[in-house]
Amino acid sequence: MTFPMDSGKDCVHAWEMMPWVMQGSATQEQGAWLESHLAQCESCRAEFAQQSRLRLALSLPADVPVNADVGLGRLLARLDTADAPEARPRSRPPSWLSRALVAAVLVQALGIGVLGVKLWSMGGGNPAYRTLSQETLPAAPGAIRVVPDASMTLADWSALLHALRLQVVSGPNDVGAYTVAPASSASTAQHALQQLRTTRGILLAEPVAVTP
Amino acid sequence: MNDDATDSDATDRMLLQRMAAGDRVALGVLYRSYHGRLCRFLTRLTRRADVIEEVINDCFWIAWQKAGTFHGDSRVSTWLMGIAYRCGLKALRQHGDEPVEDDPRHEERSATHDLDEDRELRDWLGKGLERLSVDQRVVIELVYGVGHTLDDVAVIMQCPVGTVKARLFHARVKLRNVLPTLAGDSPKRTENAP
Repeated sequence: MTFPMDSGKDCVHAWEMMPWVMQGSATQEQGAWLESHLAQCESCRAEFAQQSRLRLALSLPADVPVNADVGLGRLLARLDTADAPEARPRSRPPSWLSRALVAAVLVQALGIGVLGVKLWSMGGGNPAYRTLSQETLPAAPGAIRVVPDASMTLADWSALLHALRLQVVSGPNDVGAYTVAPASSASTAQHALQQLRTTRGILLAEPVAVTP
Repeated sequence: MNDDATDSDATDRMLLQRMAAGDRVALGVLYRSYHGRLCRFLTRLTRRADVIEEVINDCFWIAWQKAGTFHGDSRVSTWLMGIAYRCGLKALRQHGDEPVEDDPRHEERSATHDLDEDRELRDWLGKGLERLSVDQRVVIELVYGVGHTLDDVAVIMQCPVGTVKARLFHARVKLRNVLPTLAGDSPKRTENAP
C-alpha cells in the first residue's frame, strides 16, 4: 500500500470525505469544507478529479447485453412452473373416484377388524395343526389309558367300549395303548375304570393324570 | 436519504406489498426498474450475460417469495442489492469467478453504441478493477456506482461497517496508484497526494 502517511491531516480528512460529498450523503458543512480545502490544495484537487472520473466511469450503463424483457419472461415462466403443482390440488375438489377409493379402504379395514374379532373369540384353542415344539394336548377329563391284549379282537374291543360308553380319543401309541374317555356325561370315568380292570383281555387301565 | 430516494423507496415498498399479494404486474415494474443497476452491479462479478440474467432472476424469485416478510428495516434497494450480492456470490461459486470471454455480439454492440470517450473510460475502469478483489470491486460499485452509504453496504454485504471501511480504503488506495498510470498520467502525482 502506498498511501502516504505523511500527508497533511486536512488532506487525509478530505480524501476520506470525497466519496460521500460526491454521492451527496455528506452534510452541507462537510461539502463546504471540502470545497474550501480543494481550492487551496492542488494534489487533493487532482485526486478529486480522479475520483469524479472513477464515479463517472462506474455510472456508465452495463456493457454486457442482458435483455430485461427476455429475463422477465423467463422469470414469469418459472413462477408459472412453480405455481402449477401447488395450484392444482387447491383448485380441484376431490373426484368421486377418490371418494369411492377412500370408502372402499374404510370398508376393508372394518371387515378385517370384524374378522379378527371373530377369530379371536373362537379361541383358536384347537388349531388344526401342531408344531413339534408344542406340548401334547391336555387329556380330556376322565380319560383312561388302556392297553388291550394283542389277542383281543376288534369286535370285542368295540363291544367293550360301547358297553362302557367310552370312545377312543387317541392311540394306539407305540406300545399299543389307547386313551379313551367317556362318550357322554352320563357315564362316569370311575365306573368305567373299574369295569375295564375287571375285563379279561385288558392288560392295563389307568386314569390319565390331568395336568392343572 | 434525500427526497428522491425517499419517494423511490415508498414506491418500491408499495410494489413489494402488491407482490406479496401475488401481483405480477408489480413484480414486472420492480424488475424493470432495478434491471439496469443490477446488471451493472453484477458485471463487477462476472462478464457472462447468461449468469447475470440467472442471478437477477434468482434475486427476484427470492424477492417474490419473501415480499411479505419485508419489514422495512432497510430501504428496498438495499434489501434487493443484498439478495443480488448473495445470489451473485453463489453463482460465482457454481460457475467460477473467471471472467469468461466476452460475447462477440457484445463487442459489436459496445463498439457501435459507445462513444469513443465512454469506451476509453470503460477500458480505464476495467483495467483498474482488475487489480481489486471481488469484495473490493463490490464496495467500489456500491459506493461510487450505486451511491450507497457505508451502513447500507454493511447491510448488503452482511459484515461490520469497519470491514466495509477497510475494503473501501484498500480499494481506493489501489485504484489511486494504478488509475493515473492507466490513463497515461504521470504517477508522480500519487506520491504527493494525500
